[in-house]
Amino acid sequence: MTSLQILVDGFAISSLYALAAVGFTLIFGVSGVLNLAHGGIMLVAALIGWWVAGETPLGVYGGTVAGIVAGLLAAYITYFLVVRPIQRSSAIAHEEKEIFVLTGTLLWGIMIQTGMAYIFSDNPVTMRPLIGGVVNVFGVRTPRNEIMIAVLCWVVIGLLWLLINRTRVGKQMLAASINPRGLTLLGFELSKIYLRVWTIYGVLAGGAGVLLASFLGVGTANAGQLTASAFSIVVLGGLGSVSGSLVAAYVVGYLETVTAYLISPTLRPIPALLLLVLVVYVRPQGLLGRR
Amino acid sequence: MSERVRLEARGLVKRFGGLVAANDIGFDIRAGEILGLIGPNGSGKSTVMKLVMGIERPDAGSVKLDGVETAGWPSYRIARAGVGIVFQHSRPLHRQTVLENIKLALLPDSLLRLAAAPGVDERAREIAHAVGLGDVLHRHPSTLPFADLRRMEMGKAIARDPKVVLIDEPFAGLTAGEVGAFSELIRGLRDQGRAVLLVDHNVKSVAALADRVLAMYLGQRVAEGTVDEVMRDETVRRVYLGGTIEVVERRGANAEVKPPLLRLEGLSVFYGKAQALDRVDLDVREGEFVSIVGLNGAGKTTLFNAVSGLVPYSGEVRFADRVLSGMTPGAIARSGVVQCPESRELFGELTVRENLDLGGQHLAAGARTDQLAWLFELFPILEARQSQVARTLSGGEQQMLAIARALMMQPKLLVLDEPTLGLAPVILEQLSKALERLRESTPITVLLGEQNVTFALPHADRVYLLEHARIVWEGEPAQFAAEMGAGYL
Amino acid sequence: MTTVFGPRLLLFIAVFVLVASVLPLWLSAYVLGVLTTAYYFGVFSMAWDLLFGFAGEVNFGPTFLIGLGAYTAALLDNQFHLPIPVTVLAGALAALVGGLLLAVPALRLRGPYFGLVTLVAVLLLQNAIVIFAAFTGGEIGMTVPDVLSIDPKVNYWYALAFLVICAILLFGLSRSAIGLILQASGQDAIEAQALGFNVTKHKLAAFSVSALFSGVAGAMLIFYMGAASVGTVIDIGIGVQIIIGAVLGGRRTILGAAIGAIFLVVVTEVLRPLGQLNTFVVAAVALAVILFFPDGLLGHVLRPRESE
Repeated sequence: MTSLQILVDGFAISSLYALAAVGFTLIFGVSGVLNLAHGGIMLVAALIGWWVAGETPLGVYGGTVAGIVAGLLAAYITYFLVVRPIQRSSAIAHEEKEIFVLTGTLLWGIMIQTGMAYIFSDNPVTMRPLIGGVVNVFGVRTPRNEIMIAVLCWVVIGLLWLLINRTRVGKQMLAASINPRGLTLLGFELSKIYLRVWTIYGVLAGGAGVLLASFLGVGTANAGQLTASAFSIVVLGGLGSVSGSLVAAYVVGYLETVTAYLISPTLRPIPALLLLVLVVYVRPQGLLGRR
Repeated sequence: MSERVRLEARGLVKRFGGLVAANDIGFDIRAGEILGLIGPNGSGKSTVMKLVMGIERPDAGSVKLDGVETAGWPSYRIARAGVGIVFQHSRPLHRQTVLENIKLALLPDSLLRLAAAPGVDERAREIAHAVGLGDVLHRHPSTLPFADLRRMEMGKAIARDPKVVLIDEPFAGLTAGEVGAFSELIRGLRDQGRAVLLVDHNVKSVAALADRVLAMYLGQRVAEGTVDEVMRDETVRRVYLGGTIEVVERRGANAEVKPPLLRLEGLSVFYGKAQALDRVDLDVREGEFVSIVGLNGAGKTTLFNAVSGLVPYSGEVRFADRVLSGMTPGAIARSGVVQCPESRELFGELTVRENLDLGGQHLAAGARTDQLAWLFELFPILEARQSQVARTLSGGEQQMLAIARALMMQPKLLVLDEPTLGLAPVILEQLSKALERLRESTPITVLLGEQNVTFALPHADRVYLLEHARIVWEGEPAQFAAEMGAGYL
Repeated sequence: MTTVFGPRLLLFIAVFVLVASVLPLWLSAYVLGVLTTAYYFGVFSMAWDLLFGFAGEVNFGPTFLIGLGAYTAALLDNQFHLPIPVTVLAGALAALVGGLLLAVPALRLRGPYFGLVTLVAVLLLQNAIVIFAAFTGGEIGMTVPDVLSIDPKVNYWYALAFLVICAILLFGLSRSAIGLILQASGQDAIEAQALGFNVTKHKLAAFSVSALFSGVAGAMLIFYMGAASVGTVIDIGIGVQIIIGAVLGGRRTILGAAIGAIFLVVVTEVLRPLGQLNTFVVAAVALAVILFFPDGLLGHVLRPRESE
């Protein structure tokens, strides 16, 4: 029975991780930024979504939308007020820009975490599920909400794949991740492309945050862990490789679920961290990475 | 000359992916001699130098220093064994003074010596004076002129007291007077009994200094011997000049004098201290094919990058009566000035078709299909390979793709930077034919930058010669052949 | 000595030591306590600056080294009741070994990967402490039976002396011939190699020195506070504070890092009435510094001046 439970729960968790990780990879691949405020953005979406769902007449659906919008706004602030000013700053040497952006996003993430804790307190919150009820999957009683989340994640990931590989806009973003100078020479404005990428990222991270809130619950203490999971997955899968992130998300998701069920819930994040250390030393470009 | 051989290289091979940068290269350098290593850009000279210094590991071959095999050693070990290098681009420590930079070169590789040995300071001062930096000992590199930074590089190399000195393109960016001073320093190194390897693509400067010369092209050894022998070698002349200069009578060359489509006035570009362009004036009229010829390092790429808005400049660039400064590079490309750069900047992981489609994204769907069809006619090989990933194409195919992709934008002015670089003669024929068809069937204006004069002249209505950041000659191809042909090399 | 330190700097140090030594005569125990902690953080930041400012490696998890030193000393004291100097030494060695285990493979990695690995090291240590809560007291932490002193004045003087000694050693190192080689290794590894320096060897040495000082300082902090916990010596937030202190004071100056760290600890304490918000304010100020004063507040003051 437990193994089926692990299978189902693991799948849902992994799908959620995949959604969050894909956004993280996208931003790194196209914009070149390792966004350490990632968990913070998910946190903002989750908390705002929960608050709107609970405290306003907009209800759960309104809350979901509000959460995503909040995530998008947080992403924009990250790009326009932290990342872009550092990238354009003439006071910082070119080789140091990457490190400064990393530190800047880390600080902004801390600001979000402490700011949210101040406004909403430290307690974890859970959003009421979008769909109620329970269903039998392989004999395991699973909340419909959980299934819906897994399905939703895959729908979004599928849409993203379609966008990148089948639309003009997507091809531009793909090209930007390969050779930004080439794009400029072909008459494209990189600033517009970066804006689009951060918008998509904001929606992805916001969505992941809201769904996480309705599935497992989110608290300010999670923000750091969420960022850590996202970058573990992305490094494991290969920085810049979307398919790599997907595979890695499932590896990490199942590792964590198995650990939580069979060993101990408190040891949940350990195997993934150990795997990350192993990968970074043995194959730093990750499972499917190209850089 | 029976001076002993200091450095012996045999069978050096280095591959970067599919590209063979060095193929079975071997040479000797004796104490008290200067060996010149020449070849056009992309011939593998810098790779060979890096192999000797240990910055890259050879895939095959051996390097012996005084009989000791050093191939495969880390570069610091090779440095300690007695090989010094003067890099092409100065590498000063910006946060240290000139004196400290030179002192560093005198320090031992020890974790335990907290203080420098007593004579180090004195010796550093001596060396600084010897290279002409005596007055700027306590200044920081960012305040020094370009030539002084190069002097500091020489100073660091001298400080190492090397048996073998590798000097990479020492004269780039220097004035005639500075070139003279530097040549003196290099002769001094030789007279001290060191073995010197001098790498440059500027054949004239090397010719004045070298005792012997080795010429390379596309990774292979092409000629070796004394300066005169190599300069007169048929293959060397062909490789540099592209062969005998032919001039084609341009039809209707004097028919109408159209207004200038592109006008450069007083264009100057500085990279830090180095002046890459010095008050360049240039006109390209509508429908013309203009060639800018000049060796590498002359400033062609800088000129094109200024026009495309990729580097800051002073002076004026006008395109169709619009001033281009202040426009983003993307906007400049959209307004009709499309550059196909030397580095091609293809999207390696995308297919040929995807690369072309990206070039045509600004066009309406119908126009895009038509343009694609026309380009496939112009470059049939691209149609055959349209689903192939760009990275896996051969050099010639990649160049054709880069040009085709630029043409997808239906440019008014096509800027082509060194399209023939590193390509085999057969491909050059195909490119030449394509350019000819372009000229005959479209109203396009072309600005071509080339060091291969044989390729450039037949297509040109007018020619500019760019040398050391200045336009030194302007006129028609026939005149160029007559006046410059012999002395160009 | 004067060539390394310069007459103006020596004067500054002398004045600082003099003033700082007599402060306990006027200040309350509370303020002395804040300053004591601040001085230890000064050493943390100086050790960080040696690694970043000189060897050019960004350590996002300085608390990995500090935590190793702190917890080793605390555990040895708790379990075996060894005298303080022995445990501090053991803590330093533990930090050194841990640092080398981390550095040897990590130095092969470029840019962001190296930073990530240092962050992961902190997370792993944090989790390890929580797992072995039986020995370590887990998230709550553990107390140690011995302390340096119960008198706040004496603790203050211990911390001050420690800070000054470390400052002299680290600053001296940074201005020595080795410091010059380290700067070259950090600024331009290829050039440093071409000049004959084994860059990896020197960076490992810098890492070891940073680890040693961090370990000792971490252990001493424990014996000052009388307790060790994840939240005081390992938390990522503490690491960020150390880094910000160094950036605030001016990277590559060693002394600036100490001043920046001290300033930061004092300001955080002053803002304590804000509650949760004080971390927010500190992070916001740090972000502002990065955006507008990336050279730090004291960067150009403490840099070697150009003589014309």
